[in-house]
Amino acid sequence: MKPLLALLMALLFNGLAHGETARRWINPGENGGLAADGSYNNAQGLLGVLNAAGAVNVDGHPFFAPLGRNGRACVSCHQPQDAMSLSLESIRQQWQVTQGQDPIFAAVDGANCPHLPQQDPASHSLLLNRGLFRVFLPWPPHDAAGKRIEPEFSIEVVRDPTGCNLHPQYGLSSAQPMVSVYRRPRPAANLKYPTHQNFGVSSFIGKDGLPTARDPDTGKPTSMNLMADARAPSLRAQAADAAAVHLQRDAPLTRQQLDGIVAFESQVYIAQQNDKHAGSLIEESGPSAFGPRALLKGEAGVLGNNTSRWVFPMEGKWTALPRGNGAAADARNAARESIARGHDVYMFRTFWIRDSMHLNSVGLGNPTKRTCATCHGMHMTGMDTANGWMDIGSTNLPWARETPLNPWTTDKPELPLFKLTCRNDIAPHPFLGRVIYTQDPGRALISGRCNDIGTIVMQQLRGLSARAPYFSNGSARTLRDVVDFYDRRYNIGYSEQEKLDLVNFLGAL
Amino acid sequence: MITLLLTGAASAAVAAAPDAQQRNFVACPIVRDTASVPCWLAEYEGELYFLTLQTDVSAPVNPPMLGHKVLVEGRRTDKPRICGGIVLEPVRLSVVPALDANCNQLLPAEAQYNLDFEPPRPPGPSKGRLAFNTLDVQQAPVAPQRVEKQFSIGYDFDGRVGFKHPALLQPVLDYALAIKARSIDIEGHQGAALLSDGSVLSEAAHLAQQRAQQIAELLQGAGLTAPRYTVHWVDAAPAPNGTDDAPQRRVDITVRP
Repeated sequence: MKPLLALLMALLFNGLAHGETARRWINPGENGGLAADGSYNNAQGLLGVLNAAGAVNVDGHPFFAPLGRNGRACVSCHQPQDAMSLSLESIRQQWQVTQGQDPIFAAVDGANCPHLPQQDPASHSLLLNRGLFRVFLPWPPHDAAGKRIEPEFSIEVVRDPTGCNLHPQYGLSSAQPMVSVYRRPRPAANLKYPTHQNFGVSSFIGKDGLPTARDPDTGKPTSMNLMADARAPSLRAQAADAAAVHLQRDAPLTRQQLDGIVAFESQVYIAQQNDKHAGSLIEESGPSAFGPRALLKGEAGVLGNNTSRWVFPMEGKWTALPRGNGAAADARNAARESIARGHDVYMFRTFWIRDSMHLNSVGLGNPTKRTCATCHGMHMTGMDTANGWMDIGSTNLPWARETPLNPWTTDKPELPLFKLTCRNDIAPHPFLGRVIYTQDPGRALISGRCNDIGTIVMQQLRGLSARAPYFSNGSARTLRDVVDFYDRRYNIGYSEQEKLDLVNFLGAL
Repeated sequence: MITLLLTGAASAAVAAAPDAQQRNFVACPIVRDTASVPCWLAEYEGELYFLTLQTDVSAPVNPPMLGHKVLVEGRRTDKPRICGGIVLEPVRLSVVPALDANCNQLLPAEAQYNLDFEPPRPPGPSKGRLAFNTLDVQQAPVAPQRVEKQFSIGYDFDGRVGFKHPALLQPVLDYALAIKARSIDIEGHQGAALLSDGSVLSEAAHLAQQRAQQIAELLQGAGLTAPRYTVHWVDAAPAPNGTDDAPQRRVDITVRP
């Protein structure tokens, strides 16, 4: 960028983002801009948002402009203040501010089902209580060439609290059969990592040997790490799909619009950069794991589950920090030590990982004595390097969080429950057998495979403090809930200190 | 285009005398924890056998699964016991697909069973490489000679394509693309296993056909659509001898320019 233009941009956007720490909701079609270095408050500290290509003028920008019938833009569900995702805090705030009129509450997927009375908050309970949007997928699925995939299992609706899966217009028995599941939006940032062409990307999927989805524009195999079910092979395909479905755009996006969206997404990096207890996470003398610039500098698609590259490089820093420099400095150093200990729990604390599809089935044995970093191993993001769908039990019973049914409990189940029965002419699911109950069949809705039931693509562990709740179905309200889930699921037996340290570490990412 | 052909059936499975050192049996696997990585064991006729260690996905022998029986095809050695078990080497392990809740033995670590050697891979992060080099994908030469080339794809007992197969299929794909293959001949086989008790396990009916057709579909799905495919299968397993049974479970691929 020429110096004069850069100066003008800086002046234009001064006060909008650069140096600003207040939260700021961006409405579709809003004028203004994003500074190159933005930061936003959250409960744990400060999120950094880096636009590596420089300040962004949002006027008419296709990521920020309403492109469809419902007034939404990409930014509606990918807000900078929420780590380019959408926090429950923001969703609730927008409901209050707009009396439910914000486009994110559009009937198509911002409601539990389009047929419900849209002015009633109860009709948007999954969005307002768990941050979930409706994702409706055709059943049976079709491959990239449009050919029908013969599923390895049948689907029955066991529970339908939203009324959508049994609805005559929107359900499984409608003229255009659909399965409705409910999922969190993912961060549209740090995207060189989930779209890399490095370790683990080949023509065949490393977990089951089937052909890898190829980028329709380049013909190259992809890492299949986009979206909860890897149904979009590229950022362009994802944008095109989102415009048609979530934005309710009737015509395809133009090439210019697609280019603009992908260009923006590909240069924006997010990460926590300040912790309310540990202070700055991005001091030059500190670990190189933190802050959005670390994501910009990092090499994409590198396996970090080792002691040469590391998932999140700490360089042994923040251990045995000095004391006696005043209460504030001592507290900051104690918080930094906790983060470092949490990192060590993440990398080195072993536990028995058992009955997790696409982990225990890929040559490690069942069970396998490993660590968090075994699955969450991609350098800088903690994703799987490629084909990252696994079943950890976040949506499949018996491990998924279900509302207890007791005579004294007034809470009702919020999510649908499906019964999937795998065909007799294929091998049973190695851990769950032929009959599987799930809140979300995950990747299986795309592949039609029994072994993919309830598998969800793991997402990057960045900007977590800015975008609660967690897991694809929003079942963990806090990072402590996440840690507690794993502790329960794998009978880890974390100490209270280990849990605290792990939460502090995750919150600093 | 795919042409399907049934090649002449081989002789039906008839048991031969098993090798005295060979141990072929179906049993529940047992996990024994150690101070480092766990060991995998199995009992047969009152004796404990060491199957393998936990390493990583690149291991030539991958651990089986609790919750399932395992078919063990191994040769007894005089090597020092590991984790209390007689070492079988070489050994092939095939997880039986049916679930079996009785297979659930996870033994705690005991000092006497700790490994007296450094395992190829620690339970936590590695030192920056895979434990073995079996997954190294052989890159096709930049301009390979346009000659007929054969490849063989092996399987676990009753197995279809799984996590091990990308490393085997990628060279086929690379070579076929590099020489602009005009035809690909695929021949599926299935086998049987002679167990140490004299009984014979036969793979599922029609598996040779299913294996061959799946390989053709996978290569086409990976973008290798130009060549003409001919798919054969041998519908019956050769007589097992308890020693060379595993190699019968395969698909042979011939790539022609």
